[in-house]
Amino acid sequence: MSEIAVRVDHVSKTFRMYHERNQSIKSAIMRRRTSVHEDFPALRDVTFDVPAGSTFGLIGSNGSGKSTLLKCLANIYYPNEGTITHFGRIAAMLEVGSGFHPELSGRENVYLNGSILGMSRREISRKFDEIVDFSGVEQFIDQPVKNYSSGMYVRLGFAVAINVDPEILVVDEVLAVGDQEFQEKCFQKFRDFRAEGKTVILVSHSMGSVESMCDHAAWLSHGELRAVGRADDTIKQYLDSLNSGA
Amino acid sequence: MNYLKEVWASRELLFNLTSREVRGQYKRTIFGQLWSLANPLALMLIYTFVFGLIFRSNPPPGNPSGLDVFALWLLCGLLPWTFFANVVSSGAASLVTNSNLIQKVSFSRIVLPLSTVGSAAYNWLFEMAVLLVALTIAGGFVLPWIPLMLVAMALLAIFGAGVGLIFSIANVYFRDTQYLLGIVLQLWIYLTPIIYPIQLVNTQSERLGGLLNSRITLADIYSLNPMVHFVDLFRQLLYDNRWPDSAEWLICLAWAVGMFIIGTVVFRKNERKLAETL
Repeated sequence: MSEIAVRVDHVSKTFRMYHERNQSIKSAIMRRRTSVHEDFPALRDVTFDVPAGSTFGLIGSNGSGKSTLLKCLANIYYPNEGTITHFGRIAAMLEVGSGFHPELSGRENVYLNGSILGMSRREISRKFDEIVDFSGVEQFIDQPVKNYSSGMYVRLGFAVAINVDPEILVVDEVLAVGDQEFQEKCFQKFRDFRAEGKTVILVSHSMGSVESMCDHAAWLSHGELRAVGRADDTIKQYLDSLNSGA
Repeated sequence: MNYLKEVWASRELLFNLTSREVRGQYKRTIFGQLWSLANPLALMLIYTFVFGLIFRSNPPPGNPSGLDVFALWLLCGLLPWTFFANVVSSGAASLVTNSNLIQKVSFSRIVLPLSTVGSAAYNWLFEMAVLLVALTIAGGFVLPWIPLMLVAMALLAIFGAGVGLIFSIANVYFRDTQYLLGIVLQLWIYLTPIIYPIQLVNTQSERLGGLLNSRITLADIYSLNPMVHFVDLFRQLLYDNRWPDSAEWLICLAWAVGMFIIGTVVFRKNERKLAETL
């Protein structure tokens, strides 16, 4: 596997931590500044490659920069330094059902959400049955989504997102949605993805699911890359560090 | 140029977001789309009563249409104005209200403020259609002017989009913007000849002559307000039924294009920082 799906090259991302934030014109003028802040480095010079066709896990404790990196990968944040290069169409699932309008029907929302995620109308029409089938809300598809149960809502959102059909899929911890049966469907979908030679990048706290799904992994700690490589090795190092620390 | 291409590529999303606004707006109301008329009609009643009947600010009859109905004269300026005010205020709020979406999904952010232009334009088209019917019943001959009216509407929409884009960014940094905007828009409507005829301003301007011993007159300063020209355009087309001065068209075109370019540039500069700033 020499081909690369995503190249993360010396990426740094800092956030401003505001001690005082003046989001009103009055205070900005009175104090002659909009804020008092210091920079907080969320990512420090992170470099690694994600091999094409792999399932790549990002692991680390809370606040280690996983989500920041994920958002950088998803083009939501832009790194201050370094570059991220994608080789292929990328889709991100950081939240399911983004942009659903509660008063509109499931059907209208599928089209709306699909286009937010970058699908064309024709593409959505083609996959519509598959999406509805996957979500399992057939009989309610013409009802407004505000009447959906939270499970149905999430399932429909997930079904749209998973059908974007990207070459690279970026997933936050959204696997924990739906019942056992639906989760099994999702895992199956990820396996299909891999079988088709597509790349999945996911963040998870569950070492069990990372171990069972991922072949590669990167371990972040306090914004720095500690280890990258085969999933089992990386997980082992991570767990070892936790145990030695405890 | 690349940026325009990117925006063009997301036209379907723009359309879908617009229809989300349009379809979601009057859901579960009995009168539905008719509510879009309620606000301008209420304003029309108030202004007609106060300025048409009490103050008697008699605008000259339409020339050559011969129309002499204060309420219709008022609406020819008021409907474009309420559209503009809607575009600017909802455009300003668009990024903040959709902050969740911006923080979770990557897409061309500019479609958010632009979709508010789209949904406001949809309502406006409906209102203008009703106005055209009313003008025809009153004896105006508006039919041949419809294509030009549509051009003028497009110009105002582009102008409004530019202003909305700037304020949408400003609102992300300073949440005061939306409240301040409410006041600015109230002042602005009185600085525009919507509820009084521009002839009154011209008369005062002639009486005062050059201000502060210069050759600048009140009317000159007054006409710096772009909405003066837009309202003039609509009045001449719809109420007077005549071809507005070419200069007037050019001024509106310049304002529309200029403001839109500034708006897009400002937006583009800040677009990438939105997710973390919100």
